[in-house]
Amino acid sequence: MNVIEIHHLTKNYGKSRGITDVSLSVAEGEIFGFIGPNGSGKSTTIRTLLGLIHPASGTAAIFGKSCFEHPEIRQQLGYLPSEVFYYENMRVLDLLNYSASFYKKDCSKRIRELAAVMNLDLTKKISDLSYGNKKKVGIVQGLLHEPKLIILDEPTGGLDPLMQQKFFELIREEKRKGATVFFSSHILSEVQKLCDRVAFIKEGRILRQEKMSDLQENTYKRISIELNQETRPEIFQLEGISDLQIKNKMVKFIFKGNINQVTAMIAELDLRNLTIGEPDLEEIFLHYYEKEG
Amino acid sequence: MNLVFMELKAYRKSLIIWSICMVLGVYSGMVKYPTYSSDHAANDVLQQLPRTMRALFGMGSLNVSVMSGFFAFLFSYIVLAAAIHAGLLGSGIIAKEERDKTTEFLLVKPVSRTMVITAKLMAAMLQLVVLNALTLAASFLFVAAYNKGKDISVEIVLLFATMLIIQLIFLSLGAFLAARMQRSKTSGAVTASLLFGAYILGKITDLTHHLNVLNLLSPFKYFSTGALVDKQELSFTAVLLSLLLAVLLAAGAYYFYKKRDMNN
Repeated sequence: MNVIEIHHLTKNYGKSRGITDVSLSVAEGEIFGFIGPNGSGKSTTIRTLLGLIHPASGTAAIFGKSCFEHPEIRQQLGYLPSEVFYYENMRVLDLLNYSASFYKKDCSKRIRELAAVMNLDLTKKISDLSYGNKKKVGIVQGLLHEPKLIILDEPTGGLDPLMQQKFFELIREEKRKGATVFFSSHILSEVQKLCDRVAFIKEGRILRQEKMSDLQENTYKRISIELNQETRPEIFQLEGISDLQIKNKMVKFIFKGNINQVTAMIAELDLRNLTIGEPDLEEIFLHYYEKEG
Repeated sequence: MNLVFMELKAYRKSLIIWSICMVLGVYSGMVKYPTYSSDHAANDVLQQLPRTMRALFGMGSLNVSVMSGFFAFLFSYIVLAAAIHAGLLGSGIIAKEERDKTTEFLLVKPVSRTMVITAKLMAAMLQLVVLNALTLAASFLFVAAYNKGKDISVEIVLLFATMLIIQLIFLSLGAFLAARMQRSKTSGAVTASLLFGAYILGKITDLTHHLNVLNLLSPFKYFSTGALVDKQELSFTAVLLSLLLAVLLAAGAYYFYKKRDMNN
């Protein structure tokens, strides 16, 4: 059964922001990554799915039902917005209890558990929290009723690396318990570790959907090489190299494919320096998907 | 119910402050009564004022040297304050979720928008009743302290009944505008502008009888305070039509809030 079904969803508002003909589905028990640069339409898609924004055309449903017509279906939904805003003059525990009061179960034990894992002080006032701590409140708030569907919009922003790890562990645990997770991000590597399947969105359109196992065969690396002498472009004619820039002794490119091929090629060269990093999503889009798509 | 309780808690401080101000307002108004009534000299002066001046002060044809007339005169200011409270409350209680960007919290909960509005309007109405009742109690108290003439309890109760209806109209107006306007944040300012516009319009129609049709636009003129204190009469039709107006505005609030896109 598909927990999320989105068919031909279109919404335009403002001048350029919006989504066009977005279709995707997420199966039960999946962790689904929704990847795209900032402003590409991730949040618009999610907000339409949740029933915050009315679509111009198309349908969006969770557990087979539209959130507009069946708001009670959101009993099973946990949501973490990309920017967390809460009632500023409430204490953390009061806010979480208020959130829990909407669900038909006792969540007090789970609140304590999650707060302990995320290292969150429940006695503080919301207005006194830092951005990262507000995000933690958002995470606890989204998970406290043990929802069957968890929707996370840019969840890791503001969390330090240690907290990110704890958070990913929480998500994996929820998946083990049978939850479905829909996860938006603009950082591919973050999603790569966690997701079963991903969809790429750019300028409001889905570029493609892929299984993570397919994507993982293609690792993307941004490689910068500094050589001891000048070089010729012909050396870098390996398949999978893109965005090749050669400036005197400096060479830069993005590589997609089996990493052994490129290390073998580099081994032949007389290097002064070498850096291998993650290209950002924008670069991957620009140099692979746009051409192919 | 959790939502109603939450809203009441959120507005607790504001309601306490408004209540204190209303009680103080009634008190400071009533303190002046002896000067108006005692030797009738003040009243003579007031009677000699041109009709337009009297109208602008809010006395009109009221005889402010007796308690019923004086209280009706004072009441015109009480009802203005209560209407401001109701209008700002109506727009604020709806608009604040978007202003504080908490729609992504509240409106993804398993409650419909209809339920959200119902809870908010219930919490708001409860506050209107509390403010009305406290001001009514204060009025009884201070009128009793200064009244040496005829008992005016019936008049007071009738006046406050009309006030509750006017409060309801402005509550619904505020809620309607917050739900309807693209930028709901500004709905409070618009509600207040319409309210003062209606109040001023009421003053203008007091000055000249040619424009009485404009009274339709001013809820402050829906009930004739003069007839109420003179004959202890309250027009059933006026009550019914006013309530209908409040209901229509509230229905509009539901309609537009459901259609609204929550973009923050």
